[in-house]
Amino acid sequence: MDIIKYILKRIIQTIPLLIIVSLISFFIIRLSPVDPLAELRLNPSVSQETLEREAQRLGLDKPVIVQYGKWAKSFIKGDLGITSNGEQVSAKLKERIPNTLLLTVVVIFLTWVCGIPLGILAALKWKTPFDRILTVLTSIGMAIPSFFFAVLLLIFAVRTGWFPVGGLTGANFADMGLFSQIKDIAHHLFLPVVVLFTLSLAGLQRQMRANMLDVLDSDYVKFARAKGLSENQVIYKHALRNAVNPLITLLGFEFAGLLSGAALTEYVFQYPGLGRLILEAVLKSDINLVMASLMMGAIMLVAGNLIADILLIITDPRIRVKS
Amino acid sequence: MRRVIYVILISVLILGLAKACIRRDIPESAAVRNNIRAEKEITFPADRKNVTVNGIDYLESQAPIGTFGGTFTASTIGEGPKTFNPFNSKDNISTALSEIMYDGLLTTHPVTGQPIPKLAKSFSVSDDGKEYTINLRHGVKWSDGKPITADDVVFTWRDIILAGLGNTSIRDSIIVDGKLPTVHKIDDYTVKFVTPEPFAPFIRMLSSPIAPKHVFEPAVKKGSRYFDTFLSTNTKPQDFVISGAFKIKEYVPAQRVVYERNPNYYMINKNGEKLPYLDKLVYLIVGDLNNEVLKFEAKELDIINLQGSKVARYKAMEPHSDFTIYNLGPNTGTIYLSMNLNNRKNDKGNFYVDPKKQAWFNDVNFRKAVDYAIDRKNIVLNIANGIGEPLFTAESLNSIFLNKNLKPYDKDLNKSRELLKKSGFHLDKQGKLYDKFNNRVEFDLLTNAGNTEREAIGVMIKQDLEDLGMKVNFKPIEFNSLVNKLVNTLDWDMVLMGFTGSPLEPNGGKNVMMSDGTLHVYNMRPEKDKNSPRYDFEKKIDELFIKGALATKFEDRKKYYDEYQKIIYDEKPFIYIYSPTVIVAIRNKFKNVFPTSLGGATYNIEEIYTGE
Repeated sequence: MDIIKYILKRIIQTIPLLIIVSLISFFIIRLSPVDPLAELRLNPSVSQETLEREAQRLGLDKPVIVQYGKWAKSFIKGDLGITSNGEQVSAKLKERIPNTLLLTVVVIFLTWVCGIPLGILAALKWKTPFDRILTVLTSIGMAIPSFFFAVLLLIFAVRTGWFPVGGLTGANFADMGLFSQIKDIAHHLFLPVVVLFTLSLAGLQRQMRANMLDVLDSDYVKFARAKGLSENQVIYKHALRNAVNPLITLLGFEFAGLLSGAALTEYVFQYPGLGRLILEAVLKSDINLVMASLMMGAIMLVAGNLIADILLIITDPRIRVKS
Repeated sequence: MRRVIYVILISVLILGLAKACIRRDIPESAAVRNNIRAEKEITFPADRKNVTVNGIDYLESQAPIGTFGGTFTASTIGEGPKTFNPFNSKDNISTALSEIMYDGLLTTHPVTGQPIPKLAKSFSVSDDGKEYTINLRHGVKWSDGKPITADDVVFTWRDIILAGLGNTSIRDSIIVDGKLPTVHKIDDYTVKFVTPEPFAPFIRMLSSPIAPKHVFEPAVKKGSRYFDTFLSTNTKPQDFVISGAFKIKEYVPAQRVVYERNPNYYMINKNGEKLPYLDKLVYLIVGDLNNEVLKFEAKELDIINLQGSKVARYKAMEPHSDFTIYNLGPNTGTIYLSMNLNNRKNDKGNFYVDPKKQAWFNDVNFRKAVDYAIDRKNIVLNIANGIGEPLFTAESLNSIFLNKNLKPYDKDLNKSRELLKKSGFHLDKQGKLYDKFNNRVEFDLLTNAGNTEREAIGVMIKQDLEDLGMKVNFKPIEFNSLVNKLVNTLDWDMVLMGFTGSPLEPNGGKNVMMSDGTLHVYNMRPEKDKNSPRYDFEKKIDELFIKGALATKFEDRKKYYDEYQKIIYDEKPFIYIYSPTVIVAIRNKFKNVFPTSLGGATYNIEEIYTGE
């Protein structure tokens, strides 16, 4: 019962937050000197009437505050509006969300499946060559800018011809059987996944290793060992459960990054995900699309944190006692 | 110690990997540059003919006979199409991708630029230049098997284009004195267009697509709001009924558009077999130029438009690779320098341009001095890597209306100095230029930041003008702010910009050239100034544009447009710098490739085949 109350409280707290986020982003976009009609204005074959009609259609002829009110009203009703080209924003997002999810879910899955065991292992083999090599490798992984790494891999793909240059599916994807379709997607996903995986694996592995080292050094582990518990029991029953707690908060952030975390890599690999869509929308000041994606990002972040907090309540009895 | 060894070992490993990626793809000694300009000799096939077989009026290709099958992969840069409705498209990509599916009555001859029949069998223009009679092909069908008749043409023009549905740019451009042309059905295969006045640019509009009435009519009846979403990118491919050589098969957002051949297409080869040869036409949607280059080099693309900086490398790669580079000549893009000739005041009663600067800019000697100081050849060589042509005329170099009597000239600082002296400018001891009222000649040169090419040109122009003792503050500013200055606030001195024109129809540039145009950059007139006095040369240009549009014979029109180019050449409201050259690389396996400056590389996509 307490948990439900807590969740409700948290949800209500997010409402003013979202309003502030939306206000700030709306005004920053609208008050920036980006004119969505600049391209049209410099096109010799576009008439004045067409320009006026476009301004009217996009609502640019009204004051910013009125534009915001209009946007907010339809947003609450669940209508995300239309893009500057007249397409439904929701349809546009729906096209791209599955692609981005595919990429990020694969990456997050791989990172956690590899990162946690490697972190534990490195902590257990503290200061052995194994640990040292891992430390160096993860340093490199953290140090390479994802953008640069992605470009390097692209050049690699061009030179070797082993991987396709960007995209998600091959040109004759529609004519393939199911098995070759899966193979085709995996083939295209490989490089972007490598980039994102290297980057996030390094962070996660280091975090896990540090947590584990902390815990292994604590009194209750020493006590458990002194009590004569087997090493396996000490590590997996007592140490691990405590070491994993901070990672749950991290998981919350990962959730927030599900839709927006891969934008840069997506752009380099010409991956048909949200990142590319939103970047292009920002450049064109396509307000409804940008607002929808910003709000989505904000909601995902809030939701991620909420989920993490709830998970923490479940896993960590200390928090339960406090609340 | 051990740690140090690990670090070294791993760095070596990484460096080795990085080195593996760097491979020289062209021999170092390859001498390039000089032979890029040499045009490839292309033997064009004879013009297409009309052939009637079993009562069906086919269009017979005269190109060599090829083999059927294969895929041709091209690319578009940017976000991809916004719509597949050719009447709704507002951007070049949507227009190009939707017009693949819908043929127009006429098209442009790829070499001469004259209008020639396409979906129409033939056409004629009456002597007074007001009536256009179109004869349609008998027995030609839409992709769903229904015949293409006069009803479709009349419907397209009366109910879509003239009714102002979707994109109204065609309608806007054919209004003469507030009146629109009319369209009449004579019989099932004959249509007549009547313009209220003789209006020569109209004939180019007849190359706009024709819609199938039986598909578009229900959408048109639902009103313009519905029409704006009709045949969008979400429409199922099977719902398209088309007349073009290729029909959409699949659209994958942000990745590609796939077309398949239209079995009902009306073009045949000399053996009487139905074209197109290719089974599939694919347009990959790539985000930027760099990615396009990577995709071409990874052999995912069959054709690429090369940027100036890339040409030298590709030229060197060409002999030992599987593509051929074609030089299509200068394109329609013009890069120009313009001074603000505005001599009026804004709403607050202040001059848009500082009066002392007005005196310079309005002095034709000053403008000419600037013109003679610019080293166009050097700019082309250094910025466009030699892939461009110095430009001196308002019409682009591939325009069929280009005034060839306007001769290019070289940088001539002495002439500049002479001209400046004539207008009372003088230098002080340090070589700084002052006008006759002893004002230091100093002004801002603007261009849009982010366009590296223009930024580099700006720097060179600044240096050239400083040779004359002028002080030029070169300021690349954000594109939108620049447009705002050019169109609204009008508080600028000199600007470096670019336009794309039409090689076929100077009238398309009337918004720039005519004194009340919406883009009359060098002397913008906002609403309140619409009736302000014109300069003499502005009046002359206005007059020539009106005459040019109303004249019907090409020769007459050419005279008027020649004269307008001469005026711009003499008065220098625009100082043209150069036009980039279009360089295209196409894989050798494709045959029947006859690129031209006016048509591009794939205007005859029906005839192109893979020779493997």
